[in-house]
Amino acid sequence: MVSPSDLPISDLIWSIPFDSMSVLPQHKLFSSVNNPRPVVPCLVVRNGRVRCLAATTTTGPTGQKLESGKLVIVPVPTSTSTPPPDPPRVVTSPSPSPVRLATDDPSSLKSTWSHRAWVACGCTTVFVSLAKSVLLAAESHSWAGPILAGSVGYVLADLGSGVYHWGIDNYGDASTPFFGSQIEAFQGHHKWPWTITRREFANNLHALARAVAFSVLPIDLLCNDPTMLGFVAFFSGCIMFSQQFHAWAHGTKSRLPQLVVALQDAGILVSRAQHAAHHRPPYNNNYCIVSGVWNTFLDEMKVFQALEMVLFFKFGLQPRSWDEPSSEWTEDLEASAQIEA
Amino acid sequence: MAATLSLPNNHSLPSLLSPKTPSSQAPPSSLLIPRSLHSQFHGIRLSTPTSLPLASSSSAKSCIFAKVNKGRVPPSFTLKNQDGKPVSLSKFKGKPVVVYFYPADETPGCTKQACAFRDSYEKFKKAGAEVVGISGDDPSSHQAFAKKYRLPFTLLSDEGNKVRKEWGVPADLFGALPGRQTYVLDKNGVVQLIYNNQFQPEKHINETLKLLQSL
Repeated sequence: MVSPSDLPISDLIWSIPFDSMSVLPQHKLFSSVNNPRPVVPCLVVRNGRVRCLAATTTTGPTGQKLESGKLVIVPVPTSTSTPPPDPPRVVTSPSPSPVRLATDDPSSLKSTWSHRAWVACGCTTVFVSLAKSVLLAAESHSWAGPILAGSVGYVLADLGSGVYHWGIDNYGDASTPFFGSQIEAFQGHHKWPWTITRREFANNLHALARAVAFSVLPIDLLCNDPTMLGFVAFFSGCIMFSQQFHAWAHGTKSRLPQLVVALQDAGILVSRAQHAAHHRPPYNNNYCIVSGVWNTFLDEMKVFQALEMVLFFKFGLQPRSWDEPSSEWTEDLEASAQIEA
Repeated sequence: MAATLSLPNNHSLPSLLSPKTPSSQAPPSSLLIPRSLHSQFHGIRLSTPTSLPLASSSSAKSCIFAKVNKGRVPPSFTLKNQDGKPVSLSKFKGKPVVVYFYPADETPGCTKQACAFRDSYEKFKKAGAEVVGISGDDPSSHQAFAKKYRLPFTLLSDEGNKVRKEWGVPADLFGALPGRQTYVLDKNGVVQLIYNNQFQPEKHINETLKLLQSL
């Protein structure tokens, strides 16, 4: 792999700020807002050109086929008297890990019919729970219980989202049974937080929708208590949509629907500022992502710190938040800057 | 995965969230759980001598009387320091010593506490005091911890937590967590302050310095 130190420092565009207009027009690697495509940061050398091919072309400048996922250094001739450029040197980069697929492979952000089916199933079970609760409450003329239970469900969903998020962020890895893919996805999210805003709706929600569908269906079939059904409808519905609330928390005010911004400002949905705090070192606070109403209490009372200490002393499990953030955990700020440019 | 933290009946939520000054009076002996939770989140300075009921390390029902209280000379010990050399408490006689028990090396709270003692070490030296940290970790762990954070004071290995038990350092969270308790001994080896606070480790430094400056 060619490192920047192999080349004259003065020639390295790497040292030029990414918002420099002298650099960007040369390389239209960055996607527009309306046609999001993942990008990979590239090094541009004045007397040569290094192209990242992972997301763009598969043909080199001289027409040769180049394998995707490799860095190619293409020297650019500066005058006719100079000898012809050397053939491009292919520099192999490590094959992309699954977490990089979100940035390297745009299709991984799109919804599939399987995703949509699971979201439909999840929504159906939640809707049935709500409808049954309403019908049974109407029959018994008793609304207070279901309404209160629904409110409690909404509040506890925030707590549940925080506990789950804390667990996934701190323990296990990609090989953990059942949770492995979620853990990997969350770690990837910490490295590239903005990709959640590029995920299509069903792609973002399908994992939670599947869990909700399996959990709520038996309750829908077996339970006839309007209060319990009201609680389940709101709790499971908020859990299922927490990923959408999460995505909105990563959005910018100007790009979000006004209603969403109003709900965030009112504290009904988790705010952008509160969730941004979770993405700053030491990444050990503001875990709740439904309304965020529990975040202040959980952080001030150091509940998760206490749980981490207990798990450490009882089972020897050390949470990731105790370590210095590794490169796989910390946000890829250069890529973020390019997206915002 | 979630642990249940039961709130004591006589402590309302707002009072737990708001900062409180450490109490100097022991509460009634029946309120074991409230005292434990209070100390964990807001710190408690134990100033009353003898017969002091503290939260049990294993059961909410049993009552353990602190074996080391203010005004008493604690039992001596000899433990290995981070270099593997035995160090006795009696070595520090003739000058004030701050003995702080902490859960474990490399945990966030203990790191904050150690670094806070390090950053204020000159003030402790100025007061003529020595600082000694004790946990159940072995000498090699202490050595790595001390080296990583450039700790200028002694760390002792209380393997098996024998000294912790002898001194009666209370555990937290119903015995799930080794307690974080600091003792200040005067130049005669008599305990003048006991401060307990699990989740605000930096406060141990201010509380102990305040006392040292008055000795």
